[in-house]
Amino acid sequence: MREQPNERIATDAVKAWQLTAHLFAIIPLLITIAAFVIAYFFDFLSYWVGLIALAVTIVEWVVTALIIPKLRWKRWRYQIYDQEIYIQHGILIVTRTVVPMIRVQHVDTQQGPILKKYGLSTLQISTAATTHEIPALLEEEAADLRDQISELARVEQDDV
Amino acid sequence: MMSEPKRLHPAAMIFNTIQAIRQTIFGFLPLVILAVGNDMWIYVIIGASVLAALIIIFSILSWFRYTYQLQEDQIRIHQGILIRKKRTISKHRIQSIDLSQNLIHRILGLTKVQIETAGSDHRIDAALSAVTMAEGKKLHDQLKYKKQVVQEEEVTETTVEAEAVDYPQKKITPKALVIAGSTSGSFGIILGLFGLGFSELESVIPDRFYNNVSEWMFSQAMQVLIIFAIIIFIILWALGILTTLIQYWNFTITRYDKELFITRGGLIEKKQSTIPLKRIQAVGIKETLIRQPLGFATLYVEIASGEIGQNQDMHTLIFPLIRKSQVAAFIQELLPEYHYQTEGMISLPKKSIPYYLFRLGILPFIATIVIAILFFEFAWIPLMVTGLACLYGYFQFQTTGYLLQDQQLMIQSRGGISKDTALVHHKRLQSLKKKQHILHRKQELATLDTAILNKFVGRHLVVRELKVEDVDKIADWYSYRINS
Repeated sequence: MREQPNERIATDAVKAWQLTAHLFAIIPLLITIAAFVIAYFFDFLSYWVGLIALAVTIVEWVVTALIIPKLRWKRWRYQIYDQEIYIQHGILIVTRTVVPMIRVQHVDTQQGPILKKYGLSTLQISTAATTHEIPALLEEEAADLRDQISELARVEQDDV
Repeated sequence: MMSEPKRLHPAAMIFNTIQAIRQTIFGFLPLVILAVGNDMWIYVIIGASVLAALIIIFSILSWFRYTYQLQEDQIRIHQGILIRKKRTISKHRIQSIDLSQNLIHRILGLTKVQIETAGSDHRIDAALSAVTMAEGKKLHDQLKYKKQVVQEEEVTETTVEAEAVDYPQKKITPKALVIAGSTSGSFGIILGLFGLGFSELESVIPDRFYNNVSEWMFSQAMQVLIIFAIIIFIILWALGILTTLIQYWNFTITRYDKELFITRGGLIEKKQSTIPLKRIQAVGIKETLIRQPLGFATLYVEIASGEIGQNQDMHTLIFPLIRKSQVAAFIQELLPEYHYQTEGMISLPKKSIPYYLFRLGILPFIATIVIAILFFEFAWIPLMVTGLACLYGYFQFQTTGYLLQDQQLMIQSRGGISKDTALVHHKRLQSLKKKQHILHRKQELATLDTAILNKFVGRHLVVRELKVEDVDKIADWYSYRINS
């Protein structure tokens, strides 16, 4: 576990995460607008509230859309061995996970609308007790990995 | 081996009724209280009797429509009044069959049969609520043993004792049970129930009477009230001991070739259960805050699936109370697959102390600052809490450690208020994580997080702030790769 895994996830992951962040930024933006509108029509809310909300919105947007996705992509690595799956992720807290093949119960691929736009999908690996994810792989790659893992996981399982 | 479809013993109707009442009563209780409060007794009585009649009719019908049939290598259950459900459980899928008897069962010479299958899907399991004892034993024997073992099936009354001589067995002594009861936290629960019951009573007792009593109470001297409180405390404590006695009376555990067999009870409910060894995910030794200084521990196992109708306990108890010094011998004898040994355990490095103090101390510390600003003269209260929290954090630090032995990982930790030692085999660990944040990386520390399977969800065994090299060592031990 001293070396980090080799494989990186798709470069488009950054774009997909950025798009998600843009979409999420709409919520605080709407709240900000609402604050200004209320402040304009009624007296009980001062413009300060709106200004603070605006500042929060901008900071949130910059952090989640411009900073986090790149850092996150840089950290995300995985490697599939014949006997186990090795994953690394996390920006502040770096987590390295080992999932033995014989403990894998099933593998899924998942694709939401945003991932679909970039031709990506998420690989989900479940053991009896835990679930692990490799997000944003190229579609074909994810499908191949899914088949490869389920093939490797098929080695005889002792129960549970 | 094929047999005709059979009904349960008619007493099953009683159990159906009791269960139905238990299920509905809580839904109707608020209504009843409301109606009683508005002096509408008559409606309550009418409603209750109609409901009771309906429940009884349904119980009879569902008894009538419930049949089971033992076939070559499976059991088939048909049930349902309007919607018919047919369920077939294959013998190979059956993990365990438990026989249990409560008071009614014992008076009538009956038993309840619980059939448990692998996996966490409870809907596949089945329970026959009442069959005769002989029938229950027959079911147990026929479903339990696969064909090749049929010759040596011998769980009749007489042979059990012959077997017991050969197989390691432990029985709880009444003295140990008394200690278990008096150190259990269960009197806290009873206290809660008592309080709840009391607050319910409040609405039933006539106001005038209640006022008189509370006036009398408040007019008494402080000493009287304190004595009163102590008496109640002692009564609750005694009740706690009593419940433990009832629950675990004659608790006996026997190790057979491939399973642990537990019998308990004798005062009110009798229960036998089997834990197949291959379903055991981990063995645990738990020492609560009260028991640890006295040198006692409780043993439990984590198993892979839930029992139907059981309380939501996450663990399965395998011995209610044991001296700490005897734990190693106990495990050696009953579960020789596991080893309990604290020598050579690797504890945390000194540099991880601040993390432990910080995690527990930070919240009360913030509270201290806030209170110091607002009401300076009361600041000593949260300050004391902070001190205690830090002390506890230090205890946590001291307790935490791990030991690798061949195929077994032992993790000792103190979460909540108990010291908990878990013994897990390599093949039972579902995954392993190493977590580090920036400070950890600078200080060469890391957090280990592994998961095992237990009743409903996974249980995570976490050791925070180990040395990086220790975590790497465990990871290498865990890795299935040959050249890692």
